[in-house]
Amino acid sequence: MPSSTSSSEPNVQRSKYDRALPKRPLGRAFVVAVIVAASLLVAWEMHWRSFGVMPSYRNSNGLWAMERRRIDRGEGDATVIIGSSRALFNTQLDVWERESGERPIQLALEGTTPLSIMEDLADDPDFSGTLIVGVAPGLFFGGFEYRRKAFDQYLNESPSQWLGQRISMLAEPWLAFYSYDYGLFTVIKRQPWPERAGVETEMDVRKLVNLGRDRNARMWSKVETDPEYQALARKIWADGFIPIEERDAEWIANALDNRRKQIDRAVAATRKLREKGVEVVFVRNPAEGHYAVSEPMYNPRQETWDVLIEETGALGLHWQDHEEMQGYWLPEWSHMSASEADRYTEALYHLIQRERAAQAADSTAEASQ
Amino acid sequence: MLALHNAPLSWTTKKTNLLIASYLFYAAWNPPFVILLWLSTVVDWHVAKRLFTEEVKSKRRMLLAISVIVNLGLLGYFKYGQFLLENFIALVALAGITYQPPDWNIVLPVGISFYTFQTMAYSLDVYLRRAEPSKSFLDFALFVTFFPQLVAGPIVRPTHLLPQFAVARVATPQQLYWGLALMTIGLFQKVVVADGLLAPAADAVFGAGETLHPLDAWLGTLAFSGQIFSDFAGYSTTAIGVALTLGFGLPDNFRFPYAAIGFSDFWRRWHISLSSWLRDYLYIPLGGNRKGNLRTYANLMTTMLLGGLWHGASWTFVVWGGLHGLYLGVERWLKARVGKLAIWTTLPMQILLALLTYFFINITWVFFRAPDFATAWRLIDTMLTFETAGEKVLPTVFITQTVVTIAVMLAVHWTMRERRLDDVVARVPGWLTGLIWGAMLMLIVITQGGSDAFIYFQF
Repeated sequence: MPSSTSSSEPNVQRSKYDRALPKRPLGRAFVVAVIVAASLLVAWEMHWRSFGVMPSYRNSNGLWAMERRRIDRGEGDATVIIGSSRALFNTQLDVWERESGERPIQLALEGTTPLSIMEDLADDPDFSGTLIVGVAPGLFFGGFEYRRKAFDQYLNESPSQWLGQRISMLAEPWLAFYSYDYGLFTVIKRQPWPERAGVETEMDVRKLVNLGRDRNARMWSKVETDPEYQALARKIWADGFIPIEERDAEWIANALDNRRKQIDRAVAATRKLREKGVEVVFVRNPAEGHYAVSEPMYNPRQETWDVLIEETGALGLHWQDHEEMQGYWLPEWSHMSASEADRYTEALYHLIQRERAAQAADSTAEASQ
Repeated sequence: MLALHNAPLSWTTKKTNLLIASYLFYAAWNPPFVILLWLSTVVDWHVAKRLFTEEVKSKRRMLLAISVIVNLGLLGYFKYGQFLLENFIALVALAGITYQPPDWNIVLPVGISFYTFQTMAYSLDVYLRRAEPSKSFLDFALFVTFFPQLVAGPIVRPTHLLPQFAVARVATPQQLYWGLALMTIGLFQKVVVADGLLAPAADAVFGAGETLHPLDAWLGTLAFSGQIFSDFAGYSTTAIGVALTLGFGLPDNFRFPYAAIGFSDFWRRWHISLSSWLRDYLYIPLGGNRKGNLRTYANLMTTMLLGGLWHGASWTFVVWGGLHGLYLGVERWLKARVGKLAIWTTLPMQILLALLTYFFINITWVFFRAPDFATAWRLIDTMLTFETAGEKVLPTVFITQTVVTIAVMLAVHWTMRERRLDDVVARVPGWLTGLIWGAMLMLIVITQGGSDAFIYFQF
């Protein structure tokens, strides 16, 4: 019987288990490989920098989870911003901090309803601060969650994801090409390939912002200054739009039913939050162009926003109601340029304070009557 | 780990470092599941020791049963519990009983099928008197958990790995460079080929949920054939490379399988460590080909059905295994009758047979990848009838990526069919090896990879 399982045999023949190796020294090839890889990477980095890309933190699920965890770790009394991309792009943390003395936690996620996060914060005993909820009608009243995985990662982050995020963040502020938009196959996919008859493809949303370490997002200057890029961004927003007249009755019935469910979710979450002393402020950021047509078409204000504010009883700030929220430049119809976002944040902060004070005064007056 | 392994420490300390690193590596997915590794380690260590000294046949069987029950019990609970429950519900429903149990909601420990089979091989080797038990608990624990191949193979035999832990091993410079080269190749296969080039087409087709145009159905299936190979072989190659940088040799797990001529040849080239495990611990103990023709066919089918079930708790995997069992049976039958004709050895016929093998392998991949039978039948129907009424889902870019990648992959497999990579590299000028190596490194980095786990982690 062979005793090869035994690990205490003193005369094990090493060669028996060794793998075959190339019979040519590989040291020189290794050096060439390192030089070639480094040279090509430098060229790739220079290419993207010449395109206008600068290093920025990636809008990753792990980064969102890190920010969400701040509430669990002693910052539960902070002002927290949730919502979709408009809340993310338009609310500038530096300006808010300058005006208020406190830096908010930015938890807005593009293409995603904030309702799951709102419900989670409502159930979180650690959270007792102020909640600013951005309402982008299509997403909020449709319940769509493009970035659901960010929330899932916060709930179930594995040690490998935790570590991977931190390792990644060591490289992110230094490499322009290290961005979701400039991954090799994303770049290949976005080339002008011949269209195949009968195949419907949606255009990917392109890079629009640069992100800071705590998810402070500022519009990328290329969106503001490059007319071609700006036109592309607008085209993508309008891509695949179907007027509501072309929807069938069943689709519309389902959408209305779904809208009601989303409002009910918001009402329930707001009630829970207010019961524990959290102030909730709903904010409807401005939009124009394609959105000036599509949003009222699918989500008329009277049937959505007005119902939401009435049923929740929370403070609601709609851009159509306040001059301070009007007159900003939205280069691609949906989000503000970086400098405009600064101006808007300052105005929004003071508007919120004023409306809160007014609401508090009204409550006091009602109580005294 | 490399720095620690090359530091002036005792061999026992280095092995302890490797063991701790292996546990940390496994805990990186889900820390509590390390307990499963400990349980498996302790049970098989004690069982094997007792098995070695025990002479009474019934007691030996009982000891083996303990090992099998613990290992397969863990596998059954975590991997097949939901499957068994669903089938039980369906079965009692046939009798008119409605049974609604609570949700199963059990998370599958990563790589459980791999390390379960690896530890079972140890107890079985000792039971079958093929080998003695290890004399060092540290070595055995490291054998169970050795991190390079812990979660997705190769499934290494105790007779291959344990002796390597006996004497101090540090990689020579050539082993280190070749290990790094293999890691680059493995990561290139996974990140660039599997996830970047092929996964988009496969995902689009298998996730379509409707009847597709035959071109889309075929390209999606071909893309998956390349994706599953590049994903799994990529992991194996990386694991082999990592082990080599530490001075350890792991066996090959793939040998250019899409150049296989026939299905027995395919299984000598695909997931070799599993097919040889099934051969040695299932097919041969069942009687192999020693008990007559009918029994041989039955043994082949049983082995492949269980091999299918090893991959996943679903009837689609069983069908995948069953098809391979059928193919092997038919091939055996044909070989006995017309296998010796000279025509089979001509080059055109060899190429034709290889393509025919690849065609039939692709049919099996449909069942392997499809989320359910409805999807699988829909695709198979379209692929075989060429009915063009279905939807088109693949844009030009995915079609181009798939066609070019699969063509290159088949050409590489055919060219390398009788060759070894190390021989080829030895014949190529060093600067060219470096150029290709550097380009692969660059492509890995700029692809940026997503968070797509290796497909075989779920097995």
